[in-house]
Amino acid sequence: MATNGRRNVPEDDEDFIDVDDSSLQTNQANYAWEEEYKRSWDVLQEDEHGSLAGVVNSLQQAAKRKRLLRDTDPIQRGIIRHLFIVIDLSGAMQEKDLRPSRLSLTFTYLEAFIAEFFDQNPISQIGLIGTKDGLAEKLSDLSGNPTDHIRALKLKKFQELNGEPSLQNALELARSSLIHVPAHGSREILVIMGSLTTTDPGNIHDTIAQLVKDNIRASVIALAAEVQVLKFLTLQTKGTFGVAMNEGHYRDLLFEVIPPTAVTTTKAASNLVQMGFPSRSNESAATLCACHNRLTLGGYICPRCNSKLCDIPTECDICTLTLVSSPLLARSYHHLFPVENFVEVAWKDATSTTACFSCQKSFPNPHKISPQLQATTDAGRYQCKLCDKTFCADCDLFIHDVLHNCPGCLSRPRKQGGMTPSLTQAARLPSSKLGKTS
Amino acid sequence: MLFHIDDLPVYFPYERIYPEQYAYMCSLKQALDAQGHGVLEMPSGTGKTVSLLSLIISYQQFYPEKRKLIYCSRTVPEIEKALAELKRLVEYRKSCGLQESILGLGLTSRRNLCLHPSVSKEKKGKVVDARCRNLTASWVREAAAAGQDIETCSFYEELESLDLRETVPDAIYTLDDIKEMGKTKKICPYYMARRMIGYANVVIYSYHYMLDPKIADLISKELSKESIVVFDEAHNIDNVCIDSLSLDIMRPTLEASSRSITQLSESIEKMKQEGSEKLKSEYERLVQGLQDTMQARSDDLVMANPALPDDLLQEAVPGNIRKAEHFVAFLKRFNEYLKTRLRVLNVTAETPQSFLQHLKEITFIERKPLQFCAERLSLLCRTLELQNMDEYQSLEKVAALATLVATYDKGFMLVLEPYENDNATVPNPILRFACLDAAIAIKPVFDRFSSVIITSGTLSPLDMYPKILSFEAVVQESYPMTLTRNCFLPMVITRGSDQVAISSKFEVRNDPAVVRNFGNILIEFGKIVPDGIVAFFPSYLYMESIIAMWHEMGMLTEAWKSKLIFVETPDSAETSIALDNYRRACENGRGAILLAVARGKVSEGIDFDHHYGRAVVMFGIPYQYTESRILKARLEFLRDEHRVRENDFLTFDALRHAAQCLGRVLRGKTDYGLMVFADRRYARQDKRSKLPRWINQYITDTSVNLSTDMGIAIAKKFLRSMAQPLETQAQLGVSLWSLEDVLAKQRAQREKMERAAAGSHHVQYGAAEAAKLAQDRASGRVYMDVSL
Repeated sequence: MATNGRRNVPEDDEDFIDVDDSSLQTNQANYAWEEEYKRSWDVLQEDEHGSLAGVVNSLQQAAKRKRLLRDTDPIQRGIIRHLFIVIDLSGAMQEKDLRPSRLSLTFTYLEAFIAEFFDQNPISQIGLIGTKDGLAEKLSDLSGNPTDHIRALKLKKFQELNGEPSLQNALELARSSLIHVPAHGSREILVIMGSLTTTDPGNIHDTIAQLVKDNIRASVIALAAEVQVLKFLTLQTKGTFGVAMNEGHYRDLLFEVIPPTAVTTTKAASNLVQMGFPSRSNESAATLCACHNRLTLGGYICPRCNSKLCDIPTECDICTLTLVSSPLLARSYHHLFPVENFVEVAWKDATSTTACFSCQKSFPNPHKISPQLQATTDAGRYQCKLCDKTFCADCDLFIHDVLHNCPGCLSRPRKQGGMTPSLTQAARLPSSKLGKTS
Repeated sequence: MLFHIDDLPVYFPYERIYPEQYAYMCSLKQALDAQGHGVLEMPSGTGKTVSLLSLIISYQQFYPEKRKLIYCSRTVPEIEKALAELKRLVEYRKSCGLQESILGLGLTSRRNLCLHPSVSKEKKGKVVDARCRNLTASWVREAAAAGQDIETCSFYEELESLDLRETVPDAIYTLDDIKEMGKTKKICPYYMARRMIGYANVVIYSYHYMLDPKIADLISKELSKESIVVFDEAHNIDNVCIDSLSLDIMRPTLEASSRSITQLSESIEKMKQEGSEKLKSEYERLVQGLQDTMQARSDDLVMANPALPDDLLQEAVPGNIRKAEHFVAFLKRFNEYLKTRLRVLNVTAETPQSFLQHLKEITFIERKPLQFCAERLSLLCRTLELQNMDEYQSLEKVAALATLVATYDKGFMLVLEPYENDNATVPNPILRFACLDAAIAIKPVFDRFSSVIITSGTLSPLDMYPKILSFEAVVQESYPMTLTRNCFLPMVITRGSDQVAISSKFEVRNDPAVVRNFGNILIEFGKIVPDGIVAFFPSYLYMESIIAMWHEMGMLTEAWKSKLIFVETPDSAETSIALDNYRRACENGRGAILLAVARGKVSEGIDFDHHYGRAVVMFGIPYQYTESRILKARLEFLRDEHRVRENDFLTFDALRHAAQCLGRVLRGKTDYGLMVFADRRYARQDKRSKLPRWINQYITDTSVNLSTDMGIAIAKKFLRSMAQPLETQAQLGVSLWSLEDVLAKQRAQREKMERAAAGSHHVQYGAAEAAKLAQDRASGRVYMDVSL
């Protein structure tokens, strides 16, 4: 009965649609409401137990690794960075095409971004600028302290969205703060723009020309579409331009900013930068700090003028000495000498190793996996070219993203006066290629 | 790159070639080989001009006939572009080590080329022409040579004393080059270019030099029959043909011409009193026959005959207008008659025959002398050695009317209207002499030249042009666009978000629901499209009424929030200011909307590439104003003479304009843009099939029957994905061919042909398919596949 009932539903509904369907067979397009999505089941194949787990794993691994493969040539990179993030706080950020909304997603990502940024670039500084109602406002000043910025992001008053953004005002504000930055640090602006228009008080092309003159690099992440003036800005200042397709892509674009960019200006002579390594002081009574004029317990003492500062890295407010700590400096080094990309091992070569060198997790045995399945998956092992050790995908990711040193290379018997491979690499480099901060 | 099509080596000045360019060249060669005419449609921005030039130049230089190329384009910037492309091509051929001398040049009006210190300051083309004649006419020069104190043009004198072939080396001369050459050699660039046309290999000029009989007679008379004539951007060629044979006469025209007639008779009196023999000798010559009078130098020809050369009577001027006084009296009578005719209170339309009949009854003017009117007037002007010919424009017009009305009785129509347009309340009578048949003006071109190529980005349906221009095309092709990414997204929005169908149909066009939905499309797209949006309306009137309604509804304020709004007006100065500001708003990120009209200045010849037009919206279907009497007459004519149904022609005309508007947004394969058809009727097959193939090919079923919100969702996604970086590497082999790809394609095609020849059942199958295809093509529903 039920089937009958269903069959009786009149099929002539379609008669009301005044469209010729004759070309339907030739055009295999979907209907408008069927958003194009990946038919992942076409790619998948079961293994001999009928399980998909292995294949799904390898798909995930491939996706993870894709982000990892980057240029590992040692080049000169500016590791002392001064970055202003311009956040669009206009009405357009209320749009919900990125879930939960453009703004809240941006703020969530920015929190993660700031933490990651300082982890990777410990001696760099960030400042936040918001723009709405045709005005630009500093949310937080340039500083090397992530908590300041994250606190600023959480402030209620910055989450109100209104009017149109002003790109020119925001750029001018960032520029006026960046021109005082010492010459050895890079000057960067990252614009996150949801709006498609900008209301400017003057000619924005003058501002762009000024940015180029001041050697400030501006990158843009647009959330809606390609806007000519934004693209032009990035082209002129040699920044990057990206339009977020979806949430994941947005995150990728944002996190691409984290590795320091190559220094393009060809100043042949590397100059020396004065740096102080302050000592941490523990006090029993609160004293005024030189940076905020607030009473604080403990802090860092500038080695040159003995004033107390709350946080490092920073620039001493009294004697303008750059203050860093040596672990921070060392951590920035990996950008200059990145770990080589690991290469994927093919199934036929996969017989020699059985477990990951790093975590000792065992690899799938190539003899137990059918040839059909081998055709669609990879062997799940990745090899360092220098020490020939193999690693699993997770360790590969960990080594490149967090550790920045290859355990295989480091555990090799030490030759040449105990230098680690990455340091040997550094020694081999001509001095001009070394980081400016040497 | 160098490759062969059959036996012809083709030099193409770029490293890579688009597949459609290759296909285009193949068809072009086919047409040239067959010495026939061709209709070729290729999408805008895919390098039509360069493929055309490189094939024809290769063809010209390879075969011994050395057929001359005459390339006609629409506007001066387009001519400049073609010349620059030609220059590049010839340089490339030189760099390939070819030893050849190619002379190519562009021609434009005196106004653009004149070097004379005071004449070149004039702004109006007519004035420049007239002042130039005052300095260079043969009688002026004779008088100057005889020692009289008369000003002549030193540049022209210098030119006269030189042998052009020796002074000017073979090369490609752009308009600037010609002017530069004139400056350095101190010769007149305009006349230099005109004299060089005779022996140049490539000539690039405007349509009018070929189609307008008044000019064509002067410029294009000596071109050889083998020449290859190309009309680029030819989608409007029928209108150009019609305009070149149509005339409007209003009261001020007639007033001015009676003044000129008085002046004429005064100068005749004066000449008589001076006892000059000139009038007498003129009369005597006329008695001998018209042909002898043509001995005068062609440069002197002050007024050309408006009728086509084939239709001119090769006989003597009738007796009653041979004498100058008689002719002036005759003109006066005709002029007065026209004045009385203009005193009408209601609209009348009549054929040339009935007009002549009435004329004869009232004024006893016969047909024969009328026919010679223009000829005789020009002769008289020359005899009287008149200065300042620009003052005689109106009289020239009246004489042209006389000649045309007496020469043609078919395909023309006279319409007398008491008001200029429907809304006018002050009577301003106008006499329109309208040509209804586009084939008349272009017929001599088709008859005279063996290969005429008509090409443009929007020529669909292709069989329409051969019909309305009455010629046979040996090659008739439309090319799709090969793309690695779908860089334009045509979509048909048939209803608003509230599901009310939208249409610019007369009955519903002012319905508030429809207007609101049109407005919503603009507002919504304004929010999601970056930089520039261009919106087209079917007419100024409709645009004005809709903008007024939007204003009342508060929709304009809403649209203002995201974009600035600019409006095209009939005033071209105003429009160019609006365009300028529109471009600035697009450049500095403010974003703007330009509201324009489908048949206006903006819709033709102004490109909105890249950020200047990320979306173009066509509100409604741009049908012509069907109540116009001239259009009605033309439709009737087309139905009777060419078997073109009224509705077919109207739809064809509307859709070629729509396609032309929408094509503005896409200028090349790296560009991208949205094309929005906002009318319910576009979803119907009969409308869609008349769109060019390259647009049609990307109208998917997904995007054919959308409501506004669905359209917005698709557009958003499209804009995001188009903003991702484009890798040229991905295009190679698919939408961009290197030499190897071309060779591989040719090999594959040869093999296919051999296989087809081998198997007999294949042939049968092929024949059946071909028959079906021919049938489909005849019914205009399917386009022939490009056989590569």
